[in-house]
Order: sequence, then C-alpha cells, then structure tokens
Amino acid sequence: MKTLATLLTLLYFVAPSAAQNVDLGTDAQREAGRLMYNAKCSHCHGARGAGDGAATAFLRPAPRDFTTGTFKFRTTENGELPTDEDIRRSIRQGMPYTGMPPWPQLSEQEVDNLMYYIKTFSDFFSGPFAEVTALDMPSPPSITDESIVRGREVFLENSCIDCHGNLGRGDGPSGPTLTDQWDIPIRAADLTKRWTFRGGSTRSDIYRTFTTGLDGSPMPAFDIQPIEDQWALVNYVHSLSRDEADYSTYATSVFTTAAIDPSAGADAFSAAPEAFFAMVGQVIEPGRSFFPGVNGLAVRAMHNADHIGIMLQWNDMSADTDGINGPGLEVPIWPNDTDTTQAFSDAVAIQFPSGDGSGGGLPYLLFGDVSNSVDLWFADLSTPRADHYVGNGSGNLTASGMDYETSASYEDGQWTVIIKRDRTLDGQITFEDAAFAPVLFSVWDGFSRERGNRRGLTSWTYLYLEPAETESPLGPMAMYGLITLLLGLGATTLIRRKYSNVSA
Amino acid sequence: MNLLVILAIIAAWIGLRFLKANSLAWAAGIWVGLYVGLSYGINPPLPSSILSMFMAIITLALVTYLTAGNDRMKEMADTIVTFVVDKRYTGALIGVLIALPLLVSFKVYLNMTQAPEPPISGRTIHPVPPNTITVNGSPFNIVEGHNPYRELESSDPDAFALHLENGRRVYYQNCVFCHGDNMEGDGQFAHGLDPIPANFQDATTIAMLQESYLYWRVAKGGPGLPSESTPWLSAMPAWENFLTEEEMWDVIMFLYDYTGQRPRVSEEVH
Ligand code: HEC
Ligand code: HEC
Ligand code: HEC
Repeated sequence: MKTLATLLTLLYFVAPSAAQNVDLGTDAQREAGRLMYNAKCSHCHGARGAGDGAATAFLRPAPRDFTTGTFKFRTTENGELPTDEDIRRSIRQGMPYTGMPPWPQLSEQEVDNLMYYIKTFSDFFSGPFAEVTALDMPSPPSITDESIVRGREVFLENSCIDCHGNLGRGDGPSGPTLTDQWDIPIRAADLTKRWTFRGGSTRSDIYRTFTTGLDGSPMPAFDIQPIEDQWALVNYVHSLSRDEADYSTYATSVFTTAAIDPSAGADAFSAAPEAFFAMVGQVIEPGRSFFPGVNGLAVRAMHNADHIGIMLQWNDMSADTDGINGPGLEVPIWPNDTDTTQAFSDAVAIQFPSGDGSGGGLPYLLFGDVSNSVDLWFADLSTPRADHYVGNGSGNLTASGMDYETSASYEDGQWTVIIKRDRTLDGQITFEDAAFAPVLFSVWDGFSRERGNRRGLTSWTYLYLEPAETESPLGPMAMYGLITLLLGLGATTLIRRKYSNVSA
Repeated sequence: MNLLVILAIIAAWIGLRFLKANSLAWAAGIWVGLYVGLSYGINPPLPSSILSMFMAIITLALVTYLTAGNDRMKEMADTIVTFVVDKRYTGALIGVLIALPLLVSFKVYLNMTQAPEPPISGRTIHPVPPNTITVNGSPFNIVEGHNPYRELESSDPDAFALHLENGRRVYYQNCVFCHGDNMEGDGQFAHGLDPIPANFQDATTIAMLQESYLYWRVAKGGPGLPSESTPWLSAMPAWENFLTEEEMWDVIMFLYDYTGQRPRVSEEVH
C-alpha cells in the first residue's frame, strides 16, 4: 500500500494531470446534490460531511465521516478512494442492520448528484490519488464440498478466528478490544448471520470484503493466493449461515416422554424445531438501548406431561459473568452513563402474562402494566438460577423469592440457557396442549452495559404446545364425507319422491 | 395480488354471462369465484379463520339474494328439482353426489394437517381519541385544540422554519430508529416490532389525521391507546416522557414537511 501511494505521488509530479479523468460532476449536479443531502442525509452525516449530525450519538457504527476519504465498501485497493460506482452502490443499497438506509426511491440522477456532492467533502477526491481503478471482481465459481473444507483451512491460516471466532460467531479473542478509525468500539461481524453483512451478503460481496478490506474498520484486506483459495474461503464463510434471517412468528414446543432435564444441555432439544426471533433495542421507555449487543434469539422448547423446558440460544462476543444484573436496575438517561465502575453480567428473561390471561388483553410489552401483570423468568448468568419476578411495568417489578430449575453454558460465542417449569403452577400461565401461550424475550448484554430497561427485546410472540398425539385425519375425513353423502342421497330421494310425477 | 387467479375468475364469470346462466348458477359461480379469489388470489394469504368468516358472510348474502322475491325463489327451486329429477342429468347428479363428500373430506384433511396459526388480533389503527388529555400536567382538548405553531407558517415563515429545524433534530434523535429515514416505517428496529411503525408517506396515516390527533398519539404512544387498539403490543413510545410540548409539535410539523403531506383541518362550523 505504502509503495502504491509513493508511486502515485511520483506519478503526480511526473504527470500532474493524473487526476484528469476524475469526474467531479457539474456545478448544477453538485448543487442539486447539496440540496438533497441537506434534506435527507445531513442529520446523520453532518452539515459538512464530518459524520457529526444530530443522530450520530445514537448510531453505531457511526455515520461515515466523509472528510477523511475513508470508505468501507470499495472495489479498489485497500486504502484507496472508492470508485463512483462504489459510492452509488452504497447509497442505493444502504448497510443492513445499521442506521444507513437503502435509498431505492432515488433516481439515477439523484444518486449521481449525491455522489458528486459527497466527493466535495474531501480534498482527496480532487487530489493526486483521486484517480482509482476498480479491481477485477471475478464471478463466483460453483460451490463444492471440497472448497468449503479447504475454506475452513484458509480461514484458520489467515487468523480470521482472532476476530471472528472459531465458528465465526464474532467472538474471537481480539473481539472485545476492537475499535474503528474514529476510536468507536466495533464488533467483528457474526459470520453466521450473513443477512447482517453491511456490504451485502452474496458471495461476490464476501469476496470484495476480504480482498479489499473495510477501510476505517479493523477488518483488513487479505491477499490470499492462489485464487482457488480465495473462493474456498468465500464458500466457507458463505456456508456458515443461511441466506435470510427467516424470523419466526411463534415457537413450537414438541412432546417428549423423557424427563425435562436442563442439565442435559442442548442435545436434548435437538428434536424440537428452532424458532428464530428478531431482537431490537428497547427504545420505548427511558434507559434506551440504541445499539443492543444481541440482534436475534433462537428458541426451542420441549414438554412432557408435567413439565416444559425452554432453551434459549444467542451469539455473544464474550460471556460476561462478572458483575450484577436485574430487570429493575436503574439506568441513567442516555448517554449519561459514564460511571463504569460497576460491571454488568449477561442476562436473559422470558415473560408470560400472569394468571390465565382472562383479563381481556395482554399485559404491556415492557414488563406488563398496572392492571395486567407478567411473570418474568429472569436468569442473571453470573448465577446458576432463574428467579421469578412479577412485573406491573418497568418501574414495578417484585421478586417472589421463587426460582426455576435452570442451566446456562457458553461455548464458541454462543450462550445456551435452559429453563424448566411445571406445566401448571399456581397464579402463573398454564401450558395447555394445542394452545398458544403469549411470550416475549429479553436479553441483556453485559459487555454493552445493558441492565434494567437497557436491553434487547422481541415483540410479543407465541409458544405453541404440540399435543402428545396428533389425531389422524382419516377418521374425521371418513365421517364428514359420509355425512355429506347421506345428506346428498337423502335430499335426492326426497326431491325425487315429491316431484318425479310432476316432471315425468 | 395473484393476477392470473383473478383473471381466471373474471374469465369464468364472463363465461357464465355468455351461457345466460340462471340465478342459482350465478350464485354458485360468485361463491366459488370469491372463494378461489380470496384463498389463492391474495398475497400474503388470508388466515383460514378470516377466510371462513368472509365465506360465511358471502354465503349469507347470496342466500338472502336468492330467497328474496318469489320469482327467484321459484326459479331456484325449479332448477334444483329439474336437475335431480330429470333423467338427462342422472350422470351429472351421481357425479355431484360423489364429488361433494370427497371435497368435504379433502377440506377436513387440509384443516387437520395445516400448521397451527397463532391468534391474530384485529386491531383498530385509528381509534377515537379521548376528548381531553393531560400532557405533562397541562390539559389539552383534542377536539377543539390545535397546533399553536401552525399559524407561524403564514405569519412568520422564519420562526416556522426554526420550528421545523428543531422538529428535524427531534426526529433524527428519537423517531428515525423505528419510522425510518424516509419515514416509511422501516427504521433499523422496525423488523423486530409487531405492529410495525406507521408509514408517514402512506396516504392512510398522517395525511388523513389532524395535528391534534397526532399530538395525542405522540404524547401518549402505545400505552395511551384504548383496548381495541391493543395498546399492549404497540411499541410507539409515550413521548411526553422524553420531550417538551413544543418539541412534540415541532416534530409533528416536521413529519408533514418532510413527506409533503398536509394535516387534515377540522371542518369549520359556519
Ligand atoms: C439515519 C442516519 C443516516 C442517514 C439519514 C444517512 N446515512 Fe449514510 N450512513 C449512515 C451510517 C450509520 C453509515 C455507516 C455504516 C457502516 O459503517 O456500516 C453510513 C454510511 C454511508 C456511506 C459510506 C459507505 C462506505 O463505503 O463507507 C455513504 C456513501 C453514505 N452513508 C451516504 C449517504 C447518503 C447519500 C445519504 C442521504 C441520501 C445518507 N447516507 C443518509 C447513516 C445514515
Ligand atoms: C483484526 C480483526 C479482523 C480480522 C483478522 C478479520 N476480520 Fe473480518 N471483520 C472485522 C470487523 C471488525 C468487521 C466488521 C466491520 C464493520 O462492521 O464495519 C469484519 C467484517 C467482516 C465481514 C462482513 C463484512 C460486511 O459486509 O459486513 C466478513 C465477511 C469478514 N469480516 C470476513 C473475514 C475473513 C474471511 C477474515 C479472514 C480472512 C477476516 N474477516 C478477518 C475484523 C476482522
Ligand atoms: C420503538 C419504535 C418507535 C419509535 C422510536 C417511534 N415510534 Fe411512532 N409508532 C411506532 C409504532 C410501532 C407505531 C404503530 C403502532 C401504533 O399505532 O401505536 C407508531 C405510530 C406512530 C404514529 C401514529 C400514526 C397513525 O397513523 O396513527 C405517530 C404520529 C408516530 N408514531 C409518531 C412518532 C414520532 C413523532 C416519533 C419520535 C418522536 C416516534 N413515532 C417514534 C413505533 C415507534
């Protein structure tokens, strides 16, 4: 990279017109871009493009500072400026799971104007390094099993696991220390959730990401040879994740004759289907969480005649088991959370409406309300327990002193927490066969100092208990078919009797 | 919309028209057409409970139609009788007598093997607001009250612009995460919320509401909704916990300014 820069500088002096081919747009285009930028982009990216808009403090990653000429998503060499098309692509497609939205509603011209205007924020675009050429981006070869196996080796050889973790869950040993060029903490991507990739989730996107690097972030550029190994790595990373998040609308608990034993671990739940719920920051009541540590939660459940066990799994960069946590802990108004002497542990909670739900509606999603309470099964993962709380709203939680049988383990960047309860319990929801129990989940990430109202949460969803035996449809099919046949025959006979002579 | 299905149904109806079908055939044709259209013509598909509800209503309407007026009654009875009694139709009759039970069995099979559907909450999106609310201690009359800053738009455009600018700041620090940068209800947290945040670009939200109604929705949020609007589900915050009254009016004006919508004004009584 250094040598490239020197070379370019040299070129500049030898041939001062090097930047001649650079397209900075016309005055009219830049002016149109300015107007649109001020209307749609400046409150994040700042009036002067320095990434210091009104929303900046609430967004992580922060809106890009355009004055430094540093861009993450490029088809150019590491450290170089992006091509015009790179900037256009970023504007059109946005960066999923960040504050940067896609702008499909803008016309080609509007995107061009914005691109030209963005280029005015940094002198680099009119300077000696302004002329860049896009690297050759080959089209992906087909995926083979061997290449995925080889890709795993390339992944290890290039120390991707230092940041991304052994299984790619974003839990590498350097993970907690990473910051970006602007000293803002940043997380190594969770490679098992391809849909969250900022630069896009196709194999070509992954190829571009590690060959050109994400400038400004710790994600380096890798020069991997031979080219077969590059695609092997792409295929391996691609194989770590399904295509889409496929968020569920409810979880299904399956019947088992075996005992429900939390200490038996995740294997005991392999017969239950996984439901995956989106988790977003609690930004509804004070104590808001603008960048929650956890963005999805996998749920499996099993029940026998007497008990139900619910298993929760989520990816977490680090297991934070020091410190304290609680659903009712005070959180200062954001962002005045500067006293960091108290550490907070990871925690999780399952919330059900109290009683039999005959109150007419559900309790309010944030720990219930004054007239409808929730039962909270809260597990502070620095302890081996899940405690029972009754919630009548966030400021109004009472620990009953009761607890649930629980197990918790952390492995390769993933928490597994299993909580067990009797299917009937006085005052709490009864888990009936073939019924939907409303349920809501919360996760606290201790590393992000989440506690109390600062947490990630799902919306109200459901837990469905599959009945022990599903009735075979044959009986009812035959019965209803027969009834219809008899009705038809009966009606025909009646009508014929009555009218046969009339029409004959 | 599944256009092919809809077109097929329309074609079938046109066919009926050409065959000069009698009212019973028409009723049957309409029933089947609507059933097919509702089951296969709409994306995402209707939950089966809703579908049955619609079909029950349609059946009722058709029966009422057929039995209203003696002529039609008679026509219908005659048609049925001829079909059952006339020898020419015996083959068809046997076909119907066999096909119906098979259809019923098939429907039972579908019902019993389909995945269970979670309960759906029929939610009133724009419920009637209370007459008066108390925001941070000061009462506000939703019926008669109005936005105290709206008049600046004509009387003092510079002052109005400052309010808009402040509203813009409030929006990007508080609302953008849910309602999105283009105000289409698709902010970065929207995918985790159900119901999803309101889309202000859409003609059925702020464009058809008065500013005082928005003031109620902004100040009281989900918890302030009446029970037919399932307040326990709505993630819309009660902004009186965070914002001043002026900030709430400013952000409301910014919503209209950014989307180019105009608030509905209450009809003047003359
Ligand atoms: C709600 C805040 C927000 C708004 C509005 C917004 N952006 Fe962004 N933008 C971001 C964030 C956050 C990032 C950084 C994402 C990342 O680093 O993954 C970003 C990154 C970018 C990038 C950098 C891509 C790269 O390769 O590094 C460009 C270009 C960009 N935005 C252009 C725009 C334009 C043009 C508009 C207006 C049409 C706009 N943004 C509106 C928040 C915003
Ligand atoms: C020094 C730490 C580090 C190393 C080593 C590293 N990465 Fe990354 N990687 C990151 C960080 C941090 C991000 C997130 C960047 C962001 O969000 O802007 C990231 C993001 C990614 C992404 C997602 C890009 C996107 O569009 O969001 C992929 C894919 C990826 N890395 C693959 C790899 C591969 C493959 C390797 C090994 C060849 C590797 N990384 C090595 C730190 C690292
Ligand atoms: C946590 C997400 C969230 C945030 C933050 C949020 N809203 Fe909402 N908002 C919603 C949801 C969800 C709805 C739709 C459900 C409902 O009607 O309550 C909604 C509905 C509304 C409505 C009602 C529209 C209608 O057609 O009835 C208005 C007005 C509104 N929001 C304004 C705002 C303003 C102004 C802000 C910022 C000060 C804001 N919202 C912040 C989630 C949010």
